[in-house]
Amino acid sequence: MKRGEALEVLAALKGDGISVGTMRAIPDWYELGAAPELNLDNRGCMGAASALGLGIALAQPQRRVIVIDGDGSLMMQLGSLTSIAGSGASNFYHFVVVNGVYETSGFQPIPAAGIVDFAAMAKGAGYRQAYEFDDIAVLRERLPGIFNQPGPAMVALKVELDDARKEVSPDRPKDQAGYLRAQLVG
Amino acid sequence: MTSETDTKGIVESIPAAVLHGAISALGVSHVLIVPDTHQKTLLASLVQDSNLQMLTLSTEDEAICVNAGLWIGGAEPLVIIQNVGLFAAINALRGVAIDMKVPTCLIVGQFGRDVSKRVEDNVPTGVRLLEPVLQAMEVPFYRLDFAADVSVLRTAFERSRAERCPVVVLIGAPTS
Repeated sequence: MKRGEALEVLAALKGDGISVGTMRAIPDWYELGAAPELNLDNRGCMGAASALGLGIALAQPQRRVIVIDGDGSLMMQLGSLTSIAGSGASNFYHFVVVNGVYETSGFQPIPAAGIVDFAAMAKGAGYRQAYEFDDIAVLRERLPGIFNQPGPAMVALKVELDDARKEVSPDRPKDQAGYLRAQLVG
Repeated sequence: MTSETDTKGIVESIPAAVLHGAISALGVSHVLIVPDTHQKTLLASLVQDSNLQMLTLSTEDEAICVNAGLWIGGAEPLVIIQNVGLFAAINALRGVAIDMKVPTCLIVGQFGRDVSKRVEDNVPTGVRLLEPVLQAMEVPFYRLDFAADVSVLRTAFERSRAERCPVVVLIGAPTS
């Protein structure tokens, strides 16, 4: 499964949900039209996407919040799994792109690459749902059902390495926090 | 950036009820905590308050990020942590609270402070180095060393909103 095609399946189901993206998923997300509306990019603090998404989910319980995390990124705030589970945020859907490397810095393997099981960690932390997919057809079939069940949910997306360098969209709002807050509360 | 209360060299233990009352008067929606021994009486008081939504987080950097998400979503959160936790959260303070321009009001206990000495004369680095670090990061801070000065909580909270930045209130002595 390629990251781009997995994100395409996800983007098609975003609807009026709010997304929080991080790192190399950001350019794809814009290219798919899932940003900049109802979206927050996390670029300045690796590992922060899940906690940023948790805050939004708690403040906007009527909306689905979709966090697109990375494996190396999530490991920088791994404790967020228990905070998310403990919050019981039923509108929180956590997607982790698992490619086993720190892509932007030159593809160094993450600790326990190929061994670590993010879905199992999420389940162990107390997420209501946790899955791992490496087949795009299965992801496409299962994702609507996952969204129909309450979160917190984790979906680990096992993807192939992708060394294509994409630029971040120039349409990206400069004041992302203010832009999204204005969309949500006026 | 400087502290805006005078250093008097002596601090007093502020009753939890005084701080709790001041926090309630701010109209905050959520109180985010990573437990702090220095403020344990305040935390014990707050958890009894059914009007506040309390959330305990795993780390202080996470608390700063959840604060950001809540504010973006329209809520008005407040963060209560410990001095050493703020050191642990410096990247989130920089990359989220400062760079994303998020109102972030942090009440920070000066855990380990020798209350017989001025902050500058304290040996523990967790106490003595915090203000210089905040100054280096251009984060405004206020010392709250006396119950009579509790209004700085409102000053800090409102400043964080007005300037969309992090503002820290340092609790000098263990709360009572």
